[in-house]
Amino acid sequence: MAVLAPPPEPVVAAAATGGWRRRLSGRRTRFGLLNATPVVVYLLVLFVYPIFSTLLLSLKDEDGGFTLHWYADALSGTSLDILLITLRISAETSAISLVVGFLLAYWITRLRPIWAGLVMLVVVVPHFISALVRTYGWIILLGDHGLVNETLVALHVPGAPFQLLYNELGVVIGTTSVMLPYTVLLLYAVMRGVDRGLIAAAASMGAGRLVTFFRVYLPLVAPGLVNAGILSFILCLGYYLTPALMGGPKQTMVASLIDEQVMKNNQWNGASALGVILLLLTFAGLLSLRLVKSVSEAAKNRGGA
Amino acid sequence: MKDTWIDRRSFLRGLGAVAATSALAACGTGTSRSAGGGAGTGSKTLVVRNSGGAYGDANMKAVLEPFMKETGIEIKVINPNYAQMLAQIKQGRPQFDLIDNSMIDFVKFAQEDATQQIDYDRLKSVKNADIPKNLLTPTAVGKNYWGSVIGYRTDAFGGKKPNSWADFWDTAALPGSRGLQHVDADIPELEFALLADGVPMDQLYPLDLDRAFRKLDEIKGSVKKYWDTGALPGVLLGRREVDASTVWYGRLNDLIKQGQPLAYVFQGARRQSNGWAIPRGAANVDAAYQLIDYSLRPEVQAHFSEIYPFAPVVPAAYKSIKDEVAATLLGAPQNLETGFDANVEWWVGNDEVVTKRWQEWARV
Repeated sequence: MAVLAPPPEPVVAAAATGGWRRRLSGRRTRFGLLNATPVVVYLLVLFVYPIFSTLLLSLKDEDGGFTLHWYADALSGTSLDILLITLRISAETSAISLVVGFLLAYWITRLRPIWAGLVMLVVVVPHFISALVRTYGWIILLGDHGLVNETLVALHVPGAPFQLLYNELGVVIGTTSVMLPYTVLLLYAVMRGVDRGLIAAAASMGAGRLVTFFRVYLPLVAPGLVNAGILSFILCLGYYLTPALMGGPKQTMVASLIDEQVMKNNQWNGASALGVILLLLTFAGLLSLRLVKSVSEAAKNRGGA
Repeated sequence: MKDTWIDRRSFLRGLGAVAATSALAACGTGTSRSAGGGAGTGSKTLVVRNSGGAYGDANMKAVLEPFMKETGIEIKVINPNYAQMLAQIKQGRPQFDLIDNSMIDFVKFAQEDATQQIDYDRLKSVKNADIPKNLLTPTAVGKNYWGSVIGYRTDAFGGKKPNSWADFWDTAALPGSRGLQHVDADIPELEFALLADGVPMDQLYPLDLDRAFRKLDEIKGSVKKYWDTGALPGVLLGRREVDASTVWYGRLNDLIKQGQPLAYVFQGARRQSNGWAIPRGAANVDAAYQLIDYSLRPEVQAHFSEIYPFAPVVPAAYKSIKDEVAATLLGAPQNLETGFDANVEWWVGNDEVVTKRWQEWARV
């Protein structure tokens, strides 16, 4: 979630060279730099270096020369299908977790604080349990003879038992449950900040419930919706465990393909290209977040003038 | 005030040092076991790689624990897969001294020059033991026969049961979901498709890929899950997610003992062999040889087969295996007619092509 924090103000760039020296000579600054060194070294060694070597690997052919054919491979044939499936499943997941998360978060804001705290606990605590265990829990619940289907059959629901596992539905149920705490937490924080007085004011001026919701409430929580949607989309893009365990072969996602390329085909270059594409997609998501923000801010400024 | 400042600074310096050492230690975990580490005689631990699961448990009980007791050598077992092992060996410092794996994979290891030449003079148990010649390769020593078979729920088909791959494929006569092995787990199961299509068992190789994949298309709609770990068929069958599945023979035994209505079909079994190889850069080669030698003693081979239904490669082992146990071993002489041996040469030559085609087939 740190990636979503606004970037630090560009103070350093603005400072003149003299300012630089003065800043560096300050005891507090030296102290700060000393503090930062381990983290910087840590990030350089364990984060920046691996990413760059992955990038280089994805541009190397078998003889070590430069090539783009790993990217061409990744963006054609079944690899492209898998990329599109990944995007589709991620989009479905973020849409559903937004809707469910919105309803849940809205409901929690209306509860008394003690109940709100309890419900929040129920939403968040499963997240502390290993994703593997939770996924197996879903597999037990959703199987042909799992609790859900047994109940539906007992209730004589037409068409039961349904196939809820080893298909796209199963994957989306699984990934949505993983993403839900994120969306609920983000939306809850935004919704808590909404001034109830504005809703009351809208009502006092004759707006109906629907109008109040769409013209007053929704614009106020929109930034939270955008944040939550893009965050769950990004997290889902690289998700491995749930799709691998709850999906069938047609729900292969990019992370599984990377795993297969490395573990089965011993093909590190192709896997690197896929990894870089995944990273670029993540950046694209973050960029769109910034764009939406600046556009809405521009609109706000125009409205204020 | 000044004192606290100094204290804090030295504290921070100390902290930095701690961080640096732990970072170095983290980078250095690989080197700590390297062959030239000089620890030499001091290091008594033998690290064995196997595939874990029910097989790993049985192996620990029947072979590794008695070996530890007899020799005093400590054994640690880890379960990296093929690519991880290869990457470690190529780095020059594998975390394991001895690999327990399928013989097909050892051919691939040898092609990558990742395993050491076996010095057969150091293996007393091999001399005059009549182990089949094809299991004593320059870089690997065979130790057991295993295989893939049909596993099914006895309560699934209304009293009927599958007797062959043709029955397994016949989802009209035996309706229900199927499970097949994923290519991530082992070589694909093309032979079963060909047998179901009527190819005689002794004329399978070279495999007719187009015909096999055409036959696989027929059953694709009934395949609910392609299992990628040896334990999964048992889970799928046990939870009634599938009614019949391919399975590595032996993996259902615990469930059957617990009373689950599961059974195997031997007809059309694909037999493979597994064995030992020593990776280049292994830290404890002496102990590795000792364990190989130990595992090929007739009585150890027999003991393992009684705990886990993998057949021995040392014929003398059958002297101490009870007949009713021998009847449950795929590789036992009386069962050889029911199955066929996977053709190692063919698979080594075609694995890459078939794997790629399978991956594309499964996703469309």
